[in-house]
Amino acid sequence: MNCIQKISLYLADTSNLPKIYAAVICLIAAIGICTVPFLTYHGDQLYPKPAEQNMSPLTPYDRGGVPFIEPAHIAAQYPENSPALGYVTAYLTPASWFLANTTCYLGTTIVGHPGGILDEILYYTRGLDTIVEASIFFVAFAIASFLYRRAKQ
Amino acid sequence: MFEQRLIQLPFGDIVHSLSGYTVVLFAFAVMFVVLAIISLPEKPVDIVFGTDGYYTKEIPVDLMKFQRFMAIACGIATIGAITTGDVFNFTLFAAFIGILNVGIVAAVKNKPVLDAAFSYGLVIMMATVPLFAGAAIIGATCGTLSIGELMKAGIHAPIVAKLFLLVGVLGEGMAPFYIGKAEITRSPGAPYILMIHVSSLLLFLRAVEIFLMV
Repeated sequence: MNCIQKISLYLADTSNLPKIYAAVICLIAAIGICTVPFLTYHGDQLYPKPAEQNMSPLTPYDRGGVPFIEPAHIAAQYPENSPALGYVTAYLTPASWFLANTTCYLGTTIVGHPGGILDEILYYTRGLDTIVEASIFFVAFAIASFLYRRAKQ
Repeated sequence: MFEQRLIQLPFGDIVHSLSGYTVVLFAFAVMFVVLAIISLPEKPVDIVFGTDGYYTKEIPVDLMKFQRFMAIACGIATIGAITTGDVFNFTLFAAFIGILNVGIVAAVKNKPVLDAAFSYGLVIMMATVPLFAGAAIIGATCGTLSIGELMKAGIHAPIVAKLFLLVGVLGEGMAPFYIGKAEITRSPGAPYILMIHVSSLLLFLRAVEIFLMV
């Protein structure tokens, strides 16, 4: 049995593929860590947010602006595609407005209550990303529920 | 061939577009989505060895519906990956294609096939790490994720980011390996699993365009 036959036999077992793939990822990650000193950070980033945010109840989603009056300053890639740029991020529903005025932690509940903070980047300028992410979750749940129901039958 | 944009569909900062190259991939994906919509599942016939007897396998309606849904969704996700003009959006669509492929494979009630689906699921979970790492490195070093802007400004993404993306796409598109091994092509619901091959192939072809452009 020559070398190619041995490799082919090893690859023929599908349970071996994750092991090989994990080894490849480890190798690439090691190369990646070694090249970190050669990577230069590009300072002029899109959607900048101050590293140190004040004690706003909207932290870490506070991008500035006054609701309905003054838009927040957002550096988008294509501002011409987002006519309401800067206004979305400052919008709060009445319930969220009440919470923001009474507690300091509204920003931590973004996934906890519907209609909370509408973050500009999550839901407007890069809204399609959020839709695809949610679709991935829905498909995962659909597969899990299909397998669960079939196991019950 | 890559640069010329024929159609543009902006979603805020994520601009979907078709070039002379991707329009061919798009047409191919659309054709297979239409095939998945209109085709009925194959009914395999097994001949009893040494006799004239044969038996056909019945495909349960719920299995057929689930596989067809997954195949159509996979085709649409493939169209998304082909047309997107944003590196991060592309990685999301690649992860989406991976999980839909797992769905198509996992629907078949057969132990070796389910074992293969589990093993493939492990691979796609691992593949998300280099995929998103690649997009993150491009974002941090180039300051933008838009493929059009990266091409226009003449900024070259670091080679390590491309390597991460390549390994990630390899993991997400590893499904045909499992298809061949699990002999799912002879399992019930045959026409829908074609989408696994189509999506993996088109994902690779689109990834090649991105590697050449950024």
